[in-house]
Amino acid sequence: MPQEEPDRSAASIIEFCQFARTQGLFVGIHQTIAAIEATQSIGDVDRQVFTFTLRTALTSSKEEWDLFDQLFEAFWDRSQRRPGPGSGEPKEGKISTRRPKAGPRTFGSLSSAEGEGKAVTGASAQQRIQKMDFSNIGHNDLAALEQVSLRLFRRMSLRLSRKRKIRNLADRVDVRRTIRQSIPRGGDPIVLAFQGRKPQKHRLVIFLDISGSMNPYSLFLVRFAFALQKYFKRVDSFLFSTDVVEITDVLRTRDLPDALRGLSQRAAGWAGGTKIGESLSDFNRQYGRKLLSTNTIFIILSDGWDTGEPEMLAAQLHRTRRRVQKLIWLNPLLGLKEYKPITRGMSAALPYVDVFAPAHNLESLLALERFL
Amino acid sequence: MSTSPTSLQNNQVKDVDTLIEAFERLGYVTDRALATSVYLVIRLRKPFLIEGHAGLGKTEVAKVLAAMLGTRLIRLQCYEGLDVSSAVYEWNYQKQLLAIKIQEKTQQAVEEKEKHIFGKEFLLARPLLQSILEESASPVLLIDEIDRADEAFEAFLLELLSDFQISVPEMGTIKAKHIPYVILTSNRTRELSDALKRRCLYHWIDYPSVEKELKIVRARLPGVEEELSRQVVRFVQAARQLDLAKPPGVTETLDCALSVMSLGKHKLDIQTVEETLGCVTKSMEDTAKLRASGIERLLS
Repeated sequence: MPQEEPDRSAASIIEFCQFARTQGLFVGIHQTIAAIEATQSIGDVDRQVFTFTLRTALTSSKEEWDLFDQLFEAFWDRSQRRPGPGSGEPKEGKISTRRPKAGPRTFGSLSSAEGEGKAVTGASAQQRIQKMDFSNIGHNDLAALEQVSLRLFRRMSLRLSRKRKIRNLADRVDVRRTIRQSIPRGGDPIVLAFQGRKPQKHRLVIFLDISGSMNPYSLFLVRFAFALQKYFKRVDSFLFSTDVVEITDVLRTRDLPDALRGLSQRAAGWAGGTKIGESLSDFNRQYGRKLLSTNTIFIILSDGWDTGEPEMLAAQLHRTRRRVQKLIWLNPLLGLKEYKPITRGMSAALPYVDVFAPAHNLESLLALERFL
Repeated sequence: MSTSPTSLQNNQVKDVDTLIEAFERLGYVTDRALATSVYLVIRLRKPFLIEGHAGLGKTEVAKVLAAMLGTRLIRLQCYEGLDVSSAVYEWNYQKQLLAIKIQEKTQQAVEEKEKHIFGKEFLLARPLLQSILEESASPVLLIDEIDRADEAFEAFLLELLSDFQISVPEMGTIKAKHIPYVILTSNRTRELSDALKRRCLYHWIDYPSVEKELKIVRARLPGVEEELSRQVVRFVQAARQLDLAKPPGVTETLDCALSVMSLGKHKLDIQTVEETLGCVTKSMEDTAKLRASGIERLLS
């Protein structure tokens, strides 16, 4: 690394800010000013501290923080051939790992359709998503669909929070505020103040089937879980086929492609096949005490093709049902006209399910709003 | 406090290295990156947002800064549902009621009575207002775990951080005499609003390197034996690679070393690890994971 002294004039800092902006750092005029002020007040320092100074002034999240050093190197190491404002071409292979953000908070655009997710159906299908790169799903309009779904999910969550507030308006008299308001009137409580009930926030638990038969849907349903987790505060997500894996933390990352990459790693070494009952039993044992309460809405996303014992499934569902407020089963197959929930697993499960609804397209997922 | 020998006036903090030394005298081992940020906070008086995993000394930065400058530390712990009456100010209703009763028989005009009961003595200043009312010197205002508060509160904070004034409808606007040093910490349980982030200097605290962590252990636990500190640090650093739900922070390292010392042991062996495992992992799942990956392997 050439240790050339970078040019620290205000002009070159402005130029660097513009370069950083083209590379995906969100640098506004305020940050630029802050950066210039910072370098001026820190005085004459070595290159390292100069880097730290610009970094603390210009970044504002871990993602930007991690990206910064590359940008700094790219800009100041090529002092011969510094990119002019706006031209911002990333150094090959160095910063191209991260595309500039198209806009804030969008699902990563996954327009490139290079490989196809292999569609395998049947509960006996082996090795479902072992190391399969999720972001290579080859539907041309997937990106567009995602944009739309993101918007709709977001609107849905906004509506939900408003609904709560209106429902919980006035409830009982707030003595403290009533007294407070009576002071200008000599202590007579003429105007009563009311106290709304604290909005009850539900906890969502998402239990997503990724066995072979669910393949056409599961990738999209993971996105649904991602969206829910983004807009609802307390969501815990789990994947299952024969095992249960918690993916709450993976979905909590900001970018969907990051999340999907994390998922494909976490799910490594899985074998296909569905054992809903056993998975649910695992879940109840490991997480049940922590996550299930009368405040919880439990959402199962599965087609109900079960290779385990239906008695087991029924018993576990019963156990879960007793502890949660609502048990919702979303079945993608319910979208098919000729489908009847008569498989052994499904018919064993139905008595314990509060809401049995389809989940084969965006519309059906959005209809879920009514039950949350 | 300002008489303590370790405290410096803010104009005495001449450069980044002075600051590193001053922090180290107070038992806080820091690196140049963090020191640069803190130095700029002192110089530019901009709010400072520190993010990072739990147990890496985010809160400590504010405490040490206050100790170094010899000023007051005012702390606001955020939580879901934090509202203005517990963060900014509230009227002391009981006292107001009593005052009304006492005034009942007097001949004062209503306006005068009202003015009296909305005076300063009836105002309960909560942390944010306190930080603005400070008379003698700029305090350090620590807004801890801002990610736990809801977005409405964040918006309110935005207003405060740009003007450093608070308006109380009954009294008028109170402007800060000394602009506080504001430090916000976040564990990243949710994204903060862009507007707030843009206003702050930013620092991401990562897990320390082996050398830095050793230095921290020695600074915080002066009695620790050389070999033991090495073993504990190596063990915790290895545990961090395990993809645990809650990777151990520096706090856990210190806890672990301290409990081994309290048990009268001088070495970290498998049995000692078993006995002090609760210091490092904080959930059943993590403990199981740690055991499954082989404690012996982690120790070597």
